[in-house]
Amino acid sequence: MIDDIRVGALIAGSSIKRGNKKTLVFIVFVLSLIFMNLVFLPSMIGGMTVLFTGFMQDYPYGDIVIEPTGDNTYINNADNVLQKVRAVEGVRAATKRLDVGASIEHKQNIVGVTVTGVVPTEEYDISQYPHIIKEGDFLGELSRDEIIIGSIISGTSTTFGEIYDDLGETRVGSLVEVTYSNGVKRTYKVKGIMEGNFELVDLNALVHYKEIEDVYGLDNGKATSVVVRIDEAGTEEQMKDKIREAGVNEQIFSWADKSETLIRQAMQSLGAIDVMSKFVGLIVGAALILIIIYINILNRKKEIGILKAVGITPRSIVLSYAFLSMFYVSLGIFAGLILYLSLMLYFQANPVVFYETMKIRPVIDPMLLIQSVFTMLTLSVIAGTLPAWSVSKESILKAIWGR
Amino acid sequence: MILIQDLKRYYGSGSTTVKALDGVSFEIKKGEFVAIMGASGSGKTTLLRILALLDDATEGKYTIRGLKVSSLPEAERSYYRLTQVGYVFQDYALINEMTAAENVYILSMMEGKSKKESYKVALEALDKVGLKDKHDRVPDELSGGEKQRVAIARAIAKKPDIMFADEPCANLDTRNSEQVLDVFKDLNDNYGQTIVMVTHEPWHVRYVDRVITFQDGVLVSDEWIEDR
Ligand SMILES: Nc1ncnc2c1ncn2[C@@H]1O[C@H](COP(=O)(O)OP(=O)(O)OP(=O)(O)O)[C@@H](O)[C@H]1O
Ligand SMILES: [Mg+2]
Repeated sequence: MIDDIRVGALIAGSSIKRGNKKTLVFIVFVLSLIFMNLVFLPSMIGGMTVLFTGFMQDYPYGDIVIEPTGDNTYINNADNVLQKVRAVEGVRAATKRLDVGASIEHKQNIVGVTVTGVVPTEEYDISQYPHIIKEGDFLGELSRDEIIIGSIISGTSTTFGEIYDDLGETRVGSLVEVTYSNGVKRTYKVKGIMEGNFELVDLNALVHYKEIEDVYGLDNGKATSVVVRIDEAGTEEQMKDKIREAGVNEQIFSWADKSETLIRQAMQSLGAIDVMSKFVGLIVGAALILIIIYINILNRKKEIGILKAVGITPRSIVLSYAFLSMFYVSLGIFAGLILYLSLMLYFQANPVVFYETMKIRPVIDPMLLIQSVFTMLTLSVIAGTLPAWSVSKESILKAIWGR
Repeated sequence: MILIQDLKRYYGSGSTTVKALDGVSFEIKKGEFVAIMGASGSGKTTLLRILALLDDATEGKYTIRGLKVSSLPEAERSYYRLTQVGYVFQDYALINEMTAAENVYILSMMEGKSKKESYKVALEALDKVGLKDKHDRVPDELSGGEKQRVAIARAIAKKPDIMFADEPCANLDTRNSEQVLDVFKDLNDNYGQTIVMVTHEPWHVRYVDRVITFQDGVLVSDEWIEDR
């Protein structure tokens, strides 16, 4: 066996050293494309996933969201909950919110919306709301007769403009009338228009927490949710436990738990595309590797016959092709990695833009890369060995003289 | 050394059967340099391939050094080809991507010798055929005669019991042919190498001890060349 390996290496080595360089370059080029095909689309899909989950964290749910138990509409003493939560190690910030249903009216245009009562100063550490005001300003501590509306409601959304009803020409400074679900009507001046290019945000409106308290006659710091941001991404589950241990008896979810119901389907179809693209990539890759190496071997049929005729064992010959294709594939992977990383760099700097502002930056997943490298190497060994094995089984006379 | 009894090789079956060898018997002793001659299609190549274990006989018996090589399992036949039989092909059959030395020493490596040892053996063999100084050239950089001499070096490096050559000079001009035949003669005279060579050229006869002539798959004459 050792001799087989040495001789196999000698055959492979000389064929690499003195074989046709153009063929080598071509084979490596095709293999690098196969590798790219395996890793590129999943990276883009990964980028889309990050974008979606980012929305979930940046707006409705934070990293962890605490909601009332059972049939309760409100968390009863949110200030107490906040106190406990903020004391937990690893919690960066927390705030309370009150979500209610309402309709907004402006010059005979009516739109149904969710109005969220927020504590403006605290939102800076929690969400992106304060940072996506495209006209006007975010709410302040004293903003009681002011409202922030999403760009879809205002009718200025560049992204979703045509799909939803809007209030027509609402601008900063316009007066809108809000009818809350309990029938109370309030008039607000539009202080700012926010645009996150995300329906959950751009169809929403924000007022001061105290406004909702006032309208619904709530006291003792009630909340429909307490939104928590943590120091370290990925520790959501541990943090959930810690918060529970700190004595919070409400329901505690991570953003992922909540996202599930909302964008589960979107993620699922993305996941399906991801799996399919990997699968197809693998099949196509395997077939191409097999074809390339098979053609290569057919071209060397005579050589294989000669080697056998002079007493080289079929095993050495098969091994030599395994080595050869491993070499091709390693070079291919190397070239593919370079190609891939440069494309990644390019797309980091120039993200793919959806809806004009949704920037998708591909995500490099080391696990995926390692997986693909191993898959390609395994394939190459099979693809190199099978055809060589079948040719080496042929009779010497047939291999050398064709009959 | 080689004993052949009633050897037959038929191709095809029924009415299209070709009797390439149709009952051939003879013996070759150690140290002989035998030429096999005969018209095209008379069965010379067929015989040589069978003796070199590249093909199987349909019927009959042959032994090399008393060993019934034809009935060995494939792995042993392969080992036998590697260690005991040298075969020189009409078209050299060198590996184009290997240097002269590599073409030769790959066989010693296959036999389990170290790379260094193998290299030494290869250089010795190349020296015998007068090509030591061209050991690192690839076949494309060698003339036809030189290529054939590399092929001979490959065949003799293992010091085989017997060496077969199927029209080794068919693709060579007279000068190159003489070089090759001189190598054979030298091996035969000075090292006692047993050689069986197929040839068409009457003038090659002056290099050999014995001429066996075939016609339509049967042996028609077997002559000793007295003074060569
Ligand atoms: N694979 C094969 N299938 C069918 N017939 C074959 C095959 N190989 C050889 N033959 C036939 O067997 C006969 C002997 O062939 P062989 O090659 O031994 O002749 P040869 O004496 O070497 O001829 P040449 O001098 O032309 O090389 C020929 O009639 C040839 O056509
Ligand atoms: Mg012939």
